[in-house]
Amino acid sequence: MTISVHQLVPTISPRDAVGNHTLFIRSLLRAAGYDSDIFSMFRHPELTGETFYIDQLPADADALVYQFSIGSPIADRWAQHGGRKFINYHNITPVEFIGKWDGLLEAEVELGRDQMSRLASICEHAICDSDFNRSELDSLGYNSTTTIPVLFDVASANPDASTLKSINKKKSGLQILFVGRIAPNKAHHDLIAAVRTFRDVYQNDAHLHIVGTDGPPNYRKMVDAVVAHADMADHVTFHGSVTQEQLVAFYQGTDIFLCVSDHEGFCVPVVEAMHHQLPVIAYNSTAVGETVGQGGLLLNDKHPLTIAAALNKLNEDGNLAGRLRRAGVKRAACFNRETTSNQFTKEFVDLMGSP
Amino acid sequence: MTEPQSDADFFASVVAEIENEAQIRATSGEYPRALLRTLDEEFRRWLPDSASQQGIEESIRGIELASYVDPVVPIDSRSRLGRKVKYSIRRLTYFYHRHITQQITVLGIHITRPLRLLDASLKQLSRRLTALEDSLDVNTIEREELLAGLSGGKLTEDLSAEIVTAMSSVAGRILMTDSVDLDLLRSLQNPGQSAYGVGPAVIPGNDDLELRYESATDHLNVLPGQSLAGLILTGMTDRLSLNEQLRTLRKALNKCAPGARIVIIITLPKYWEQLLGPVGADLLDGRPLHPETWVHLLKREHAENIEVYKASDQSSALVTAILK
Repeated sequence: MTISVHQLVPTISPRDAVGNHTLFIRSLLRAAGYDSDIFSMFRHPELTGETFYIDQLPADADALVYQFSIGSPIADRWAQHGGRKFINYHNITPVEFIGKWDGLLEAEVELGRDQMSRLASICEHAICDSDFNRSELDSLGYNSTTTIPVLFDVASANPDASTLKSINKKKSGLQILFVGRIAPNKAHHDLIAAVRTFRDVYQNDAHLHIVGTDGPPNYRKMVDAVVAHADMADHVTFHGSVTQEQLVAFYQGTDIFLCVSDHEGFCVPVVEAMHHQLPVIAYNSTAVGETVGQGGLLLNDKHPLTIAAALNKLNEDGNLAGRLRRAGVKRAACFNRETTSNQFTKEFVDLMGSP
Repeated sequence: MTEPQSDADFFASVVAEIENEAQIRATSGEYPRALLRTLDEEFRRWLPDSASQQGIEESIRGIELASYVDPVVPIDSRSRLGRKVKYSIRRLTYFYHRHITQQITVLGIHITRPLRLLDASLKQLSRRLTALEDSLDVNTIEREELLAGLSGGKLTEDLSAEIVTAMSSVAGRILMTDSVDLDLLRSLQNPGQSAYGVGPAVIPGNDDLELRYESATDHLNVLPGQSLAGLILTGMTDRLSLNEQLRTLRKALNKCAPGARIVIIITLPKYWEQLLGPVGADLLDGRPLHPETWVHLLKREHAENIEVYKASDQSSALVTAILK
C-alpha cells in the first residue's frame, strides 16, 4: 500500500511563499511515490479543485507535515491525528513587531507562539527554513530538527520594458531597491531614514524603490508620515504588488538592494537580488545574515549613517560592486530549487522509508 | 582570475572601513542628527498603544457584513438547461432562502451587539488606565537618569569565583539576566553547560557568547517550563520595584527544572543608598532587597541549601540555592 504523507496548512494560496512551498512539497512527495494531498482551512479559489478542506483529512494517513507560520486551529487537528507528525517551520514574526499595529494578527501570532511551545513534545521531527528558525525550536526542546531552505523559484522572466524605462528616467542618482511586504519587522521607516541620510551626506539624487503589498494599515500610515516628515515624497516610490516581469525589471534596473529588516525567518528577495547580480547590503539580523552568507555586505548596526556610508562605498567602488555581484550569484545558487528539492526528498525518504 | 583576498575577508574589511567612516562622521556631527531625532519622534508619535481594539472593531464589522446574506442564489451553469433548472428552483424556493437569510442576519445582530458593548467597555477601561498611568508617571526623566547612574557595577572577583563554583556541577542551560557580566558568562562555558545572557543592554559582537538583546520578561514568557538547569538573576534586583522583582522571580523559577541552581546577585542596600544618595534612593521606585529577604523568598519557593556570600568590599552579595 502507498505511504501517505499529507500536508496541513492554515491558508493555501498560489502566490505566497508558504503556499508555493507547500505546492512544491506536494509535487516532490508525489514524484517520490508517496500519496500526498494538501488540507487547509482557507483555500484560494484557484486551488479549491486540487486541495481539500481540513475536515476531509483521512484518519489513517501515515504522516502529516504541518506548514507552520502562524497560529491556527489546524495545529490542534495535526496534534490530535494518529499519524506520524512533522513540522515544516517558516518562523512566526514575534509579537512585538506586530502587536501594536495589527490586533487580529497579534492574536494569531500569540496563538502561534503558544502552539509552538506546546507542540514540541509531540513533533517527531521539524524541518526549518534557516538555522535561525531551527534555534528557536531547539530552545523550546524539539527533539529532532534540521535546516532545509524554503522551496521557491527565483523570479525569472523577461524584464518589463516600461518599468526599466521608468527606473532609467531617474538614473541620475543611485537607485536603491527593497522588496517585501510593508510591515513593521521589515523596518521601512529605517530605510527611509537611511536613504534620507545618504542624500544629505553623500548624494542628493538617490531614489528608493519599495516593492511589496501593504501590511498593517497603521504601519503604512506611519511610513507615509515619515516619508512626508523627511521630505522624501519625491524620492521614494511605493510600487505595491508587481508582476514577475516588473519584479525582474526592478532587480535588473536598480543599483543596490538594501535590507534593514529587524526580523526575517529567511528572506527570498535577498536571494532573488543576488541571483540577478544586484549587489546586496543588509543589516545582519535574525536569519538575514545566514541567507546573505558571503554574497553581500552585512552590517552590524543599522544607524542611518552606517547604511549611508555603505551605500556610498558601494556606489564609488566599482571593484566592490563587481565582487558583490559575483559573490551574490554564487550564493544564490545555493538555494537552487532542484538542490533544495533533493534535500527534501532525501529527508522524507529517511523519515518515512522508501514508498 | 582569482581574487587576492577571499570574499569573506574582503567584505569584512569593507564593513570595518564603512563603520570607521560612519564613526568619524558621527563624531564630527556631519549628518542630519536633528532630522533623524525628529524622525524618531515621528515614528513614536504614530506607534499605537495597542491594536487590539482596532482588531475587535474590524472583527465586529466583519461579522456584521457577513451576516447580511444574499438570498438570491447564483444560477450560473455551463448549460442553458442547467441555468433554467436552477432559475426555476430559485423561484420556487426563494421564500425559504429569504427566511433563512433573515434569521442569519438577526443572529449576526445579536452576536455583534454584546461585542460592541464589550468593545465600549474596553475603550473605557483603556481611557481609565491611561489616566492612571499619567497620574503615576511623574519624575520619569529623573528616575531614568538615576537608573543610568546605577549601571556599570562590576562583580567582585570573590563573588564571581563563588558563582563559578556554584554552577560547576550544573549540566544544561544556564540563564543570566538581565545585567549580563560577559567575563562571568565566559567562565561558565564549560563542557555540558550552555550558559547564555539575556538583557535589554546586552551588547552584540561577542561571537563566542550566546547573547540575546531582549527584556528578561519577554524572554521568560516564551521559555518552556523546566527548561533551565541554572539561573543567575542580576541587575533587575537593584532597580525593579518590589512587585516586579517578585513577579520576575516567580516567573523565572517556573522555568527552572527541579534541582536547578539559583544565584541572585544584589547590591547591598546600604551601599546602594550611599551610591545614590538620599534623593536618588527616595525617588527611585525600585531598590535592592536585603539578602535575608531573598533567603525568605527562596524558602517560600521551596528552595534548599540556601547560602549567602558577601563581597569582600561589602558592596554586594550573592544568594545561592537549589530548587527542590
